Amino acid sequence: MSAATIGPARNRVDGRLKVTGAAKYSVEFEIPNLAHSWPVEANISKGKITAIDTKAAEAVPGVIKVLTHLNAPKPKEAKATEERNSGHGIRNEERNPLSDDKVYYGGQYIGLVVAETIEQARYAASLVKVSYAAEQPLLSMEAARPDAKKPKSNKKENVQAEKGDTSAAFKRADLVKVDQTYYTPTETHNPIEMSGTIAVWEGDKKLTLYDATQFVKGVQSVLARSHNLNPEDVRVICPFVGGAFGCKGAVWPHVLLAAMAAKAVGRPVKFHVPRKFMFTGTGHRTPTRQTVRLAATPDGKLQAMEHSSETLTSPVGQYVESCGMRSTGILYASPAIRIEEVVYPINVSTPTFMRAPGECPGTYALECGMDELAYALKMDPVQLRTVNHADNHPIKDVPFSAKHLKDAYQRGAEMFGWSKRNPQPRSMRDGDLLVGWGMATATYPAHKMNAAAKVQLRADGTATVQCATHDLGTGAYTAFTQVSSELLGVPFENVTFELGKSDFPFGPVAGGSNSTATVSTAIHDAAAMLFKALGEIAVKDSQSPLFNAKVDDIGMVAPGRIGVVTDQTKSDSYADVLKRAGRNSIEVQTELKEPEENKKLTFQSFGAHFCEVKIDPLLPRVQVTRVVSVMNCGRIVTAKPARSQIIGGVVMGVGMALTEETAYDPQTGLPTTRNLADYHVPTNADIPHIEVEFVGEPDMAFNPIGARGMGEIGITGIAAAVANAVYHATGKRVRDLPITPDKLLDLA
Amino acid sequence: MSPFTYTRADDPNAAVSGIAANAKARFLGGGTNLIDLMKMGVEAPTQLIDINRLPLTQIEDLNGGVRIGGLARNAEAAEHPLIVQRYPVLSQAILAGASAQLRNMATTGGNLLQRTRCYYFYDPAFPMCNKRNPGSGCGALNGFNRIHAIFGQSEQCIATNPSDMSVALAALEAVVRVQSAKGERQIAIGDFHRLPGTTPNVDTNLQADELITAVDLPAMPFAVRSSYLKMRDRASYAFALVSVAAVLDLTPDRKINGARIALGGVAHKPWRATQAEQQLVGKTADENAFRAAAETALNGAKAYKHNAFKIELAKRSIVRALTTTAAIPV
Repeated sequence: MSAATIGPARNRVDGRLKVTGAAKYSVEFEIPNLAHSWPVEANISKGKITAIDTKAAEAVPGVIKVLTHLNAPKPKEAKATEERNSGHGIRNEERNPLSDDKVYYGGQYIGLVVAETIEQARYAASLVKVSYAAEQPLLSMEAARPDAKKPKSNKKENVQAEKGDTSAAFKRADLVKVDQTYYTPTETHNPIEMSGTIAVWEGDKKLTLYDATQFVKGVQSVLARSHNLNPEDVRVICPFVGGAFGCKGAVWPHVLLAAMAAKAVGRPVKFHVPRKFMFTGTGHRTPTRQTVRLAATPDGKLQAMEHSSETLTSPVGQYVESCGMRSTGILYASPAIRIEEVVYPINVSTPTFMRAPGECPGTYALECGMDELAYALKMDPVQLRTVNHADNHPIKDVPFSAKHLKDAYQRGAEMFGWSKRNPQPRSMRDGDLLVGWGMATATYPAHKMNAAAKVQLRADGTATVQCATHDLGTGAYTAFTQVSSELLGVPFENVTFELGKSDFPFGPVAGGSNSTATVSTAIHDAAAMLFKALGEIAVKDSQSPLFNAKVDDIGMVAPGRIGVVTDQTKSDSYADVLKRAGRNSIEVQTELKEPEENKKLTFQSFGAHFCEVKIDPLLPRVQVTRVVSVMNCGRIVTAKPARSQIIGGVVMGVGMALTEETAYDPQTGLPTTRNLADYHVPTNADIPHIEVEFVGEPDMAFNPIGARGMGEIGITGIAAAVANAVYHATGKRVRDLPITPDKLLDLA
Repeated sequence: MSPFTYTRADDPNAAVSGIAANAKARFLGGGTNLIDLMKMGVEAPTQLIDINRLPLTQIEDLNGGVRIGGLARNAEAAEHPLIVQRYPVLSQAILAGASAQLRNMATTGGNLLQRTRCYYFYDPAFPMCNKRNPGSGCGALNGFNRIHAIFGQSEQCIATNPSDMSVALAALEAVVRVQSAKGERQIAIGDFHRLPGTTPNVDTNLQADELITAVDLPAMPFAVRSSYLKMRDRASYAFALVSVAAVLDLTPDRKINGARIALGGVAHKPWRATQAEQQLVGKTADENAFRAAAETALNGAKAYKHNAFKIELAKRSIVRALTTTAAIPV
């Protein structure tokens, strides 16, 4: 790939701040007179609080107030509205915390102790005595089936689809078929940085929130509505985020509680969500039960695909995990496709988006199903996928913008050495160890939203660019510094990119892998405005080579220089234009506008994972020993953070495949694996060297820089690649994740 | 955590007289488990007596065996040449546990007193736990019991002991030396930890006023042929699903003179498989003998809804641990 496709391998501009501890995360801001808090949780899953005794807690030295439903101020209405869910910030739970005596799930906040120190608050919280009138909760998918809801859509996205006649195909005797059901457990995001909020009121009309969030403008909007404030009077500050993966995308009760508590005690209050509550208070990936049915001709051409998913939500949540639509709805060409989605509300905390929501569990099921079909057909799994390559969107029949999936298969297979694979399960060995090779397709849509940017260019050759976007640890600071440097024609080291403040021009939620595409477009537009603004000065300046030129003809002709784009003999440097005009700097800011939607093309990224596992047949803990991931994400802005994003996705996907599960107690409904000792994210020892390569060219039809997002695609497909490798190694198909040693003990 | 006072003992006598004066006092060693449990609200001592300055950190020869001071850090014990050379199973067991950071802090005495990782014990949000709150019931019995015991349980408690080190000590027939205001005594490792019975709240036979001063490893020249196997859900940083400490005394013609097998992750205490050990004596060290011993070792195991796999996993782990141990050149 050319240099234009893969940008320079920049070190992170914030790297030094992070490794020296100088990067200030939201809950680390030092606020005078700050009070601390600790939540009280419900330890039943359904019922009513009949009594809540806070006397002992209030008597603890240092305790300032114990908030419960009995004394909590009631914020403004909290009913779902279109506006709330229209990109201006969402609440994952519509119910206000502490609004009444009802308990909907175990771990629900039913009180908040505010004290001088966090230790005092925590101790006092343990002394709050609660009595309940408990009711029989619904705690499993099986128990909830009679209450099934069949949602039509998830926000604006359809989650049900039917194309052609799948049932006719499944009746045909001449087709080769697969009909299997796959389970994924509840998974919890567990970023290193736990969620947290510091709320600071100035009077009762101005609120500042230091909040660990993926959406400063969303938090601003939600809190302005719930406290009836002008949005500009709610300031949200979040310069660094220590990982999020979706759990900081919506506004969760702790943010509302921090603001409520700060108002109630007349002091700034910090609510740093304890790790334990990251399993109940900030969402998780719903468990899924997915049935995939495939029918293909003996030469492998798909004739019908069906994908039915069952997922869960809570009684106070709206979330729908769109498994089928985002995998079977996009991946392969088939004349008949049917996608079905059912959601059950149960008395377990509210799920939310988690890295590649829908795509991630969806590709696990579909890509395992495709592997099973390849075996049923006695066909190579890469060949099966190539034969069924979708040139157009399989349901909408709209062509893809720049799809390089076949290149990814080919390059990945080459790098991995796939041609040396003996397809026979249990045929490959390394000494006593069983060796398995598996692969799967990865996919994620290219999203773009709306953003605005502000640029200040100075006569000394430096520039500052601002947007209320976010760096979740992804390398966004670095990527946007790079994009700004290129588009403004200012050296990389002279650009300062600022983000994470609601005072800056609008940036959308850092979700759906949209940030690079969206914010880069805003920087592009700001650069164009800047060149016009400089041009306006230059054309009126008799000293300038551009004197009397047409402003509309002027643009950047070389780094640091504007000129007549069609006649580059006439140009002037930014610095000279400003200096002659007696100015130290010039500033422009773009207007917020809806992105143009190109309905003639489908914008979607694709890739392929190849993976090797080794398994001791006697003591079958699966060890992933090699991964090759080849992705097509359009232009790669900066090579190093981009590669890290794919590696991070693969690591998280290996966790999904082999170790991660939020298990629940069947009696109380509380999570049992509710800390990082019992919830097993992969350790370094679980992860091999991961080779990442990118294919394809910039997707210029998508946006002016040709970059699609890449934060999520890495996790899609990888769990299937691992599971398929496990089958190849052992001959055993494990259809419920994670593949822990106990599930492989029946190897012959 | 519940309020407490902090005092520091400068010599063992001061430590034991301090603890004798307050039934709710606890010694503070590395703090890696106790402080965590205090934060969780599981433990609530009213006084912590810091014993880190007591001169109990020695690791030294003891007539061909080794004495490990009660305050010797796990990392030091695991890396000490006397342990590495004479008792590889102990070094391996310690290194299989926790993280480097925790091993740098955790003490020998503290490791012996590690409390169970049963979810229902560790999180007071669960109303039922006879160990944490006697009489409240056992949440695990009909709950999520994947990590729970298959040996020695009672209807009151099916928790397991989480220590790796203690499993190796059981195989090595260690002796725990303790001191109180009344004097000193020795407790055989097999008698140190308890089965839950009707008092699952009592983990060990150490009395509340006793201080662990040392762990003595008796001379066991054949323990150079020993190893530790730990099966867990991920490659590192996880408690054992099942673990095996194995020691084999072999004749030059590979007949078994003696064997020591202890299992971790299966019971409320390190589980010594004495019948299997006896069965191996006189046999040739081969797979048949090991398989038969593994079958014997798992006789009488009782599983629950989610942990039945441990029986098969334990058998295989025994076979593998014995095979690995037998192959060690001496």
